[in-house]
Amino acid sequence: MTSLGLTASGIGLSRNESGTRFSHSEDPVALEELRRRIESCLVEPDWDESWTVYDLQTMPHVEITRFVERGLMTPEFAETATGSGKGFAVYGEELASIEVCGADHIRLLAYRTGDELPFLYSLLSMLDDRLESAFTYAFDPFWGYLASRPEQAGSGLRVYATLHVPALMLTGKLAPVVVGLVKQGFVTSPLWGGAGGIMQVSNSGRQGEPEHEGIQKIEILSKEVVEKERSVRKMFMRENPLQVRDYIGRAIGLAQHAWNMPFAEAVNLLSAVDVGIKLEVAHVPQLRDETPFDLMRRLQPAQLVTEYDEAKQGGLESPEIDQVRALIMREVFAGAEVLS
Amino acid sequence: MSVTSEEARVFADESPDQNLDFTGTDPCQECGEAPAVIHLLRVDEGHVSHARLCEKCAESLAGHVQDSAWVFAVPSSFQRFGARTIEAEDIGETVLNSATPEGCSACGTTLSDLRETGMVGCSECYQVFSDYLRDEIFGETADCAAHLGKSPRHGSEADKMHREVIRLQHMLRELVDCERFEEAASVRDRLTELGETMQSEKS
Repeated sequence: MTSLGLTASGIGLSRNESGTRFSHSEDPVALEELRRRIESCLVEPDWDESWTVYDLQTMPHVEITRFVERGLMTPEFAETATGSGKGFAVYGEELASIEVCGADHIRLLAYRTGDELPFLYSLLSMLDDRLESAFTYAFDPFWGYLASRPEQAGSGLRVYATLHVPALMLTGKLAPVVVGLVKQGFVTSPLWGGAGGIMQVSNSGRQGEPEHEGIQKIEILSKEVVEKERSVRKMFMRENPLQVRDYIGRAIGLAQHAWNMPFAEAVNLLSAVDVGIKLEVAHVPQLRDETPFDLMRRLQPAQLVTEYDEAKQGGLESPEIDQVRALIMREVFAGAEVLS
Repeated sequence: MSVTSEEARVFADESPDQNLDFTGTDPCQECGEAPAVIHLLRVDEGHVSHARLCEKCAESLAGHVQDSAWVFAVPSSFQRFGARTIEAEDIGETVLNSATPEGCSACGTTLSDLRETGMVGCSECYQVFSDYLRDEIFGETADCAAHLGKSPRHGSEADKMHREVIRLQHMLRELVDCERFEEAASVRDRLTELGETMQSEKS
């Protein structure tokens, strides 16, 4: 399949154990027991990759936030991470994760850059099959996999396509696109508060159709949106090449010389430069092996606090985080230029 | 700092309006006539404003956005569960059918709980509140709404056969719609065979 142009892909797969009440109505002792059984299953030796099981009760706030930033934990789960029966584990080198006793007993998650929806679903489905050998899932031939929210019963599948659409946003052409998506039953949300023109499209409501059809549907729609974005970018370049180069050149200049950079500003600059690279008017040698979106993810606050000593002072509120981010941007953009 | 701050998520998991009291029964804010079925959110410099619109007005308004504000939309079906609940209350208890006044004997969830939270307490609730849930979630399309996706590999033979019947019924409808009658006839025969097998296993 040719590239769909997805900036990133995410999949969530929810399941519940038959015979155990759903998390919100089960007593804490039973939930703790379920968590222990799931964790015991995860540490068995026959998985392709090993699981790292975390103790949420003692996990530092920064670490929880880092997993949310990596797409391995949903924000909703993180908000109540210390509740009864809550468990969390990561598969392999952050290939996937499992949330235990969130809204549903089990939620498998995977997130990665690029057009990876089918791969991610295969991975989660394989993990799901292995879990099923140890747990009897709550399933009904009509409803499918049962969920605590009946409108989510079915495949238990939530598909997320992350799209980079700054040109549609800048021209006001995004609004009709999102209304069109919503009419087809999809939900659109701004990622990172809308910084950088990045949005996420996901399915909503009951998913009774075969999983591959649901994934294909969101891929096709995403491709259409990305094509519209490309077309607007080309129009910009055709009609205002100087303005485009000026816009991207200013972004590179700021990235090369700023000493303090909030996350949203970094995302906006990287977004502009990404457009420049795709239009072949920007050259950033350091971004050969890392996509601008990967760099955006790496510049999130908890990532920096975890990975850079300079950012550790004061945790997530530390002003040093913005300075470290600016330093990384200066390093990445050394040697970057706008091509004439 | 909350972990769900905008900076700290790559899953824009739920729509920003998830906690709004939007029932889907309100009239469109623009024309005041048709029901509002789309919730349009406008994010401008971090400020979020909302509009509840009918499909026509949403399209019209979206076509006239000139600036760089983010505009996002959420289908009212997101909240439809609550909306239809209110209608159900208005028309009395006709949806109760199989639900006892005490609710689910396995977990204690009552119809009031379900209406209030939109959540069921256990697997049994799907049987206890079956009619209500089918009506709420699918309305008139319930007959075509059966699950066609993945199923547990270790399910019972009866469940597997039941699922095969659902799959074939779905296929039959599609073939008839496409006027592929020969193929439809063979699917119908297979359905008859399966029905007989299931019947003989029961007896």
